[in-house]
Amino acid sequence: MKYIFNFPDIGEGLEEGTIIEWLIKKGQKIEVGDLLVTMETDKVVAEIPAPRSGVISALYGKEGETIHVGDALVEIEIEGLSGEDAIETVMNDKIQEQIKEEGAGVVGTLEVAGNNMIMSGSDEGFDETESADKPVKRKIISTPVARAMAKNFGIDINLVKGNGPAGRVMKEDILNFSKQKTKSSIKQESAKDETNQLVEIEPLTQIRKTIAKNMIASKHNAAHMSVFDEVEISELDRIRKKYKQKFEDKNIKLTYLAFVVKAVAIALKKYKSLNSEMDTVNDNMIYKKYYNIGIAVDTEKGLMVPVIKNADKLGIAEIAEKIQELSEKGRTGKITLDDMRDGTFTITSYGSIGGKFAVPVINFPQAGILGVGKVTKQPIVKDDKLDIGLVMPLSISVDHRIVDGGDVTRFLNTVMEYLNEPVSLLVE
Amino acid sequence: MKYDIIIIGSGPAGYVAAIRAGQVGLRTAIIEKENIGGMCLNWGCIPSKSMIESAKLYNKILKDAAKFGIDGIDKKAISFNYNTAVKRAKSIVKRLTKGVEGLLIKNGVEIIKGEAKITSKNTVSVENRSLEAENIIIATGSYSPEIKGDKSIIIDVNTLFEEREIPENILVVGSDSVAVELSQFFSLIGKNVTLATKGERLMPLADEYLADYLKGIFKKSKIEILYNYDIQDVNDKFKNNLIDINGKEIKADIIINARDRVGIIPKSDVKIEIENNFIITDENCKTSIDNIYAIGDVNGKSHFAHIASAEGLHVINKIKGINSKLDIKKYPLNMYSVPEIAQIGLTEKEIKEQKIEYKISEFPLSANGKAMTEGNSDGFVRILSEEKFGEVLGVQIVAPNATDMIAEASAFMQLESTVYDVAKTVHAHPTVSEIFMEAGFEGVDGAIHK
Repeated sequence: MKYIFNFPDIGEGLEEGTIIEWLIKKGQKIEVGDLLVTMETDKVVAEIPAPRSGVISALYGKEGETIHVGDALVEIEIEGLSGEDAIETVMNDKIQEQIKEEGAGVVGTLEVAGNNMIMSGSDEGFDETESADKPVKRKIISTPVARAMAKNFGIDINLVKGNGPAGRVMKEDILNFSKQKTKSSIKQESAKDETNQLVEIEPLTQIRKTIAKNMIASKHNAAHMSVFDEVEISELDRIRKKYKQKFEDKNIKLTYLAFVVKAVAIALKKYKSLNSEMDTVNDNMIYKKYYNIGIAVDTEKGLMVPVIKNADKLGIAEIAEKIQELSEKGRTGKITLDDMRDGTFTITSYGSIGGKFAVPVINFPQAGILGVGKVTKQPIVKDDKLDIGLVMPLSISVDHRIVDGGDVTRFLNTVMEYLNEPVSLLVE
Repeated sequence: MKYDIIIIGSGPAGYVAAIRAGQVGLRTAIIEKENIGGMCLNWGCIPSKSMIESAKLYNKILKDAAKFGIDGIDKKAISFNYNTAVKRAKSIVKRLTKGVEGLLIKNGVEIIKGEAKITSKNTVSVENRSLEAENIIIATGSYSPEIKGDKSIIIDVNTLFEEREIPENILVVGSDSVAVELSQFFSLIGKNVTLATKGERLMPLADEYLADYLKGIFKKSKIEILYNYDIQDVNDKFKNNLIDINGKEIKADIIINARDRVGIIPKSDVKIEIENNFIITDENCKTSIDNIYAIGDVNGKSHFAHIASAEGLHVINKIKGINSKLDIKKYPLNMYSVPEIAQIGLTEKEIKEQKIEYKISEFPLSANGKAMTEGNSDGFVRILSEEKFGEVLGVQIVAPNATDMIAEASAFMQLESTVYDVAKTVHAHPTVSEIFMEAGFEGVDGAIHK
């Protein structure tokens, strides 16, 4: 039987991707997990694994073509199965996939279940099936008249929402769709004409849409609360300067951020509520015993948040190296989905650009985000005398549903102690 | 105790709505002042069809038995026993009404006997009881307005199928299917029939093509049709079995009142808007009062039982929050004439009015083998389709079982099918329904057997 594998939503709310490279050929035998294709989305470059073993009987789309999520990607001829057996196998797989998904509960699980089409093995021998130019779409129920009209009007019936029984696309749906289409194109054109001089209209990029969605989700779902403070970091600066050259010899830039990441990772171990998330579906708190620190990176395309995994177990040098590697990947668009998943807490270091305090938006469903402001020399009082100090402003936002005022302040104090006396980082 | 719904009237509108309401868990009461099943079950659709079957059999034996190879039938010896036929009809009615009553009870509907009066937006009184309900559905049906005159010779349709003597000369008054069916019924059992109709044509809802065809059938059976005769009062006009109307003397021993029906408006303290003796309703059968609905004949949209039932289901769905569209153009209009006539969708006139480019594909019954073997080759199928996409817009059938055959057209229309789909649908041979497929071929590029 033939199994059509559709381009899955690889977890970041993507709508489409571009085929970079086919890693398999038509007629090639493949096993579950073999990599099929390299797809580029606005956010990541991902390699898509095969969900089933078999022989590739058709590739849908050429390199450089854009494929929508849910559209057919490849057709796999599954050996030894036909008719009802095949359907049953696929159905069982679907059930298992669903169970897997439910168990995972983290961002970025590969969603394979859904509307994969099953075609029974019949006279459609796959030798004759050319690598299709047009991808197979999801099955649309529509009336004969609606189909004839859609064809005549040049409407892609897949885009029309059916209002008939069981979602059937009716004549009226096509007529309404065609009216709307005409209206909106007229509207767009006239709007363009009028505003040509005053504004520039640019369609939203995928990444901007994702940022917008996530930001709103955070503001809608979390109860934001922020605390601000300043920490004197002369000692940290001394150490940094001392080792800076050594690091540079290894091509690593030793930044304040590396220390902040380490300080945060260790402080999180003491305040478990800040390294947690709330599961409102099952009324549970989920405390995470791993400390993956996301770093907000400003790229040309927009905000990206790569993750330094198990930051608590890494040394300052390793963290610095990781930060450098991930920032570079982010800027060159080579970041992968793996680099961005499973963060437990986030740091945003806008201070390298400027700005002292901010109210950062939590990377939902995480419990908190720490903002690092611009480090400046400032008058400080030390031993009752005025002195020049090096001051780092810190802003932290937490989800007040999870973290109370006392805990967040205590957490911030701990981070500040580590930064003020960096030696204590080694002791911990 | 408060009901979700009180339904007034238990005809095919009311009882279907009540069963559906019970099924979807609404607390429902149905009020009936006469018999469960209403006009349709007790005095209309069912008994009339039973009587017409008797008449058809009688007529076939008389006319065709010898031709079909049955010897020994003495035409002078056989006669039509009206009262026995009535008994048979009554026994069918009894079984059906019992069945409906059982279904109502099974679905938890409370049956209340008596005459209802709407006392407020949410209350109905019946036999000194006051009942409260969220919604009220009026399903009271319709009646033929009275013909004034000697009651011994004027018979209303709902008292016709009782044991009685049927005289020789019969005048039927009316214009729609009831009048047509009754005229033919009396003609089949050998009576001399005149049909007086108030308009210029029979069956105002049917396509003119069908009305014309029917005119031909009537002519063949020697039923005289008098047009523009709206008979409302025969006092002083009846003399020696002759009725003198506008100077014309019509031979008549009895008059059957099948005048165009008007709504039975229930007593009400609430002012519900009415127009031309029907309750005004919107596209969802809602009256001028928010929670009061009117379904079936009483809203004047149609006088077919199946449309009444469809309206009943629609209103219950609506109350339950299930939204759909009620398109009565997609419901068939059936007439149990001989041969039967059925129609669905738009008529040719309506298509012209909507300025739709259309095509007519017709196939005659005379070319159909099965029809010939049955000895009934009078009739045709006519498909009206949209020119560009071939959508089936209307279907008209004249055939012995046209009222059953129209169901196929109903499905095609519900699914917005085209003549291509009709042509592609294989019909078994030999069947009368093959003519449908042939008309489909005709719509695409030409019938095979024409």
